Amino acid sequence: MSEHEVLIRLERVSKVFDDGTVAVKELDLDIEEGAFVCLLGPSGCGKTTTLRMIAGLEHPTTGEIYLRGERITHWPPQRRKAGMVFQSYALFEHMTVHDNLAFGLKARRVPRRQVRERVRSMARQLELDDVLRVRASRVDLSTMQRVAVGRTLLAEPDVLLLDEPLNNFQAGLREQMRVQLKSWQYQFGRTMVYVTHDQEEAMTLGDRIVVMRDGQVEQIGEPAEVYRYPTTLFVAGFIGLPPMNFLPARFDASAGRLTMAGAGVEVDASSLRLDRALEEMVVGVRPGHLSPAEEEGADGRPRIRGRVELVRPTAAKTILDVKAEGGQTVRALVPSPFSTAPGDPITLAFEPRHLVVFDPSTKRRIS
Amino acid sequence: MMQRLKHALLFSDGWFKQLLVLPMQAVIWAVLVVPLLIAIYLSFVDWEPISGREWWQAPFAGVANYKRALLDPRFQSAFVRTLVLVLTVVSVQLVLGLALAVLFNTKFPARRFYSSILLFPMMLPWVVVGLIFFVLFLEQGPINYLLIGVFGPDRSVDWLGRPLLALLAIGLGDVWQWTPFMFLVIYSALAAVPPEPIEAAKTLGASEWQIFRRITVPAIMPVILIALLIRGLEAFKIFDLIFIMTGGGPGTSTESISLYLYRTGFVFGQLSFASAAAILVLVFVVLVSWAGLRPLRTEVEL
Amino acid sequence: MSRGRYRTGRPWLRLLVATVVVLVVLGPVVWLASLSFKPPEEWLAGRPTIIPRDPTATNYLVLFAPGLPGGAIGEALRAAQPVNRALINSLLVAPISTLLSVAIGFLGAYGVSRFRVGGNFLPFSVLATRMFPPIAFAVPLLVYYRTLGLIDTRLGLILMYTASTLAFSLWLLKGFIDGVPRHIEEAALLDGASHWRVLFTITLPLVRGGLAATALFVFIMNWTEFLFALIFTSRTAVTVPVQLSQYVGTVGRFYGPQAALGMVASLPVLVAGYAIQRFLVRAFTFGLVK
Repeated sequence: MSEHEVLIRLERVSKVFDDGTVAVKELDLDIEEGAFVCLLGPSGCGKTTTLRMIAGLEHPTTGEIYLRGERITHWPPQRRKAGMVFQSYALFEHMTVHDNLAFGLKARRVPRRQVRERVRSMARQLELDDVLRVRASRVDLSTMQRVAVGRTLLAEPDVLLLDEPLNNFQAGLREQMRVQLKSWQYQFGRTMVYVTHDQEEAMTLGDRIVVMRDGQVEQIGEPAEVYRYPTTLFVAGFIGLPPMNFLPARFDASAGRLTMAGAGVEVDASSLRLDRALEEMVVGVRPGHLSPAEEEGADGRPRIRGRVELVRPTAAKTILDVKAEGGQTVRALVPSPFSTAPGDPITLAFEPRHLVVFDPSTKRRIS
Repeated sequence: MMQRLKHALLFSDGWFKQLLVLPMQAVIWAVLVVPLLIAIYLSFVDWEPISGREWWQAPFAGVANYKRALLDPRFQSAFVRTLVLVLTVVSVQLVLGLALAVLFNTKFPARRFYSSILLFPMMLPWVVVGLIFFVLFLEQGPINYLLIGVFGPDRSVDWLGRPLLALLAIGLGDVWQWTPFMFLVIYSALAAVPPEPIEAAKTLGASEWQIFRRITVPAIMPVILIALLIRGLEAFKIFDLIFIMTGGGPGTSTESISLYLYRTGFVFGQLSFASAAAILVLVFVVLVSWAGLRPLRTEVEL
Repeated sequence: MSRGRYRTGRPWLRLLVATVVVLVVLGPVVWLASLSFKPPEEWLAGRPTIIPRDPTATNYLVLFAPGLPGGAIGEALRAAQPVNRALINSLLVAPISTLLSVAIGFLGAYGVSRFRVGGNFLPFSVLATRMFPPIAFAVPLLVYYRTLGLIDTRLGLILMYTASTLAFSLWLLKGFIDGVPRHIEEAALLDGASHWRVLFTITLPLVRGGLAATALFVFIMNWTEFLFALIFTSRTAVTVPVQLSQYVGTVGRFYGPQAALGMVASLPVLVAGYAIQRFLVRAFTFGLVK
């Protein structure tokens, strides 16, 4: 399998619905063979519409879609080999699990004997042997999901499209299903496009993450890259929990220093590797990169001093809301247990190389 | 004492529940149970209003009335005629209604306006529908005028004066009035079919026809069955339309079972005989609805 | 987000087909309406026209004042009863029996919905009254209506109509009451309200819309009923449908006034029917199809 062969290409694809809603705007996206791509974004960002356009359930208003270089923009779904797993699973509830699995093969007029064999082997791989004769409306959620995936895989799709398939699961089971999904990718070796609004899901599952907002791509990259080097303020704020702190800053060109008045701290601009020097900038720092320190230290790290406002302990980490001397509230993620109480003075230190700097007018990264 | 009784009646739990259904039960007894008992009694005696005796003094007749009814060729043919008419018109209504519902489930201009026009025939009084089809099929009426226009001057047909043609005209009236019902029921069922399974079938490569037959139709099947049962029982009662259009004639050639019972019971006054025939019809209806409801029990929550 | 459910090609072709269907549905009624405004010369003779060549309101006038317009129609119709009495009868019988039916149905529906009084048997036996051919009940009813002296009285019709539409009232209202969350009633009970108080001040206002729709539908049923009215009335209590059948049967070939009466008979139910358009599927199927 060649790593970089483009399987699906979306070129300046836009979708405007009959009622005038613009769901997707001028979207460009390449999906490589064998990749696990996550479309991530808040609800209404156009990720599901994008998926439906790849499936052929919607057709772009403008722009083109290619499959292995062939233009398929207006092909009906029946002609494409795009398998889709719906959020509701969309099982055929009046049929048995077996008939659900066999549906695509029968629709494509595969000989009866072959249908039986392939359904059986798929059922074995997905551990569905015991429920083959059961009506699809009577099996439990995780079985439904396996049926939906199996049904789709049996049609031998070029790409497997998944629309928030874990939404219906409780937290515990979700984690288990994630592992399952990831293992299926290796087992069946299919290209997958996965839509989710859950960043944690996207980070753990995706080889590549496409962050979308308002019908447009904000950033495409590997999970670690998107987390560490968000290209826009939106991505920076959307990825990571608790969200990144944004500190408004002024740049003093003569001194070469960046002053964040709200947090009461300044840093040497040379350590930030800025593309451009602007008078006004926004500095982002992840809560996890703020660590408690002595009030004064010889390590030379910049320090934010303030008082604890709110303490929220979780199992592994504790979230602190700190009112800095400059008046701004910053959030820090420190290892648990951490004993402090609202009102206590605190000092937080950070490494300048962990900072990301944005242009407040274009909202793009400039460091 | 009265106070306490009143309080018990109005506020105690048990009494409250019973009082709620009391009027309804009274009505059931008055129009269902008691008449049924009277009908059963009448069917086993020999009584006619002109006999001079009061009805409770009539002589016992055994199963003579039932025997007579079952052997009466007029009863038999009215029964068979009604059944054939019901099966024919209801199937036509189902096919047309389904086709219309599928048509209206697609997008085209004026769809909503048109679908609300389609509703009105079923609201009209049956007698008015009878009147309309009576004047349409008159010998010098517009239908014949059209036929003459298309096929030439001696093609004028005496629709209501010829047995089979009269039945056809009656059937057309019923189809005209009640196809909208089938349409409406199936149309709303189609609109309630969830879109995802259909989309899933598309991505699995199923053709539009396969999707319709294997996904859409099974999804609306319970509703279709209910509609068929209700429409079938309703059509079986057919009376008004025939009464206005032909009065059962010429002769007895368009008599439905209801019309037959009406004539024997109320025109000829053979109440005992009519009761026996009515009970035979009731038994038939009970059997049909029981059998018809059985598959539904599992499909829908009643 | 709006999604086309099916392929959307050639909408104009579908519009054409639908237009033909609509014309076929409208045609017969347009013909009746047109006939009701035609003078005698146009009733049958010659080329049929949709728009009367010489429109007249005489057909309507003779219905209410048979002698007034004079001429052949007036002369012939003088023999028939004026429709005023039938109209008054219908206007009394249909609404009163509707009110009774809905009131009894509402109480019963509450009992069935909330307490399952009578289990499954009670609601289904009410449904059965509507499944059976009414003619089967007519014979025994005649016998005891004679005994009770209810034949050819409005009261007799009202009682019969109340009973025969009870199945609709019960089943439709049960559907609406099922839709009212129990918690609301329980909250009121906890506040110390009696069952009756809860029923009339909490539940009743919440299903107001459903009651109105049910009442309109039951009214349509009562207004259009023909068989019972035909059998149990002769002179004093005749209703509009019976009057219409008498016009068709006995008056002879006076198609204009017959059509006019048909229009008069249809108007109230068309108004009521269109007021509850969205409710019709549910109503005709006793709420089994929503």
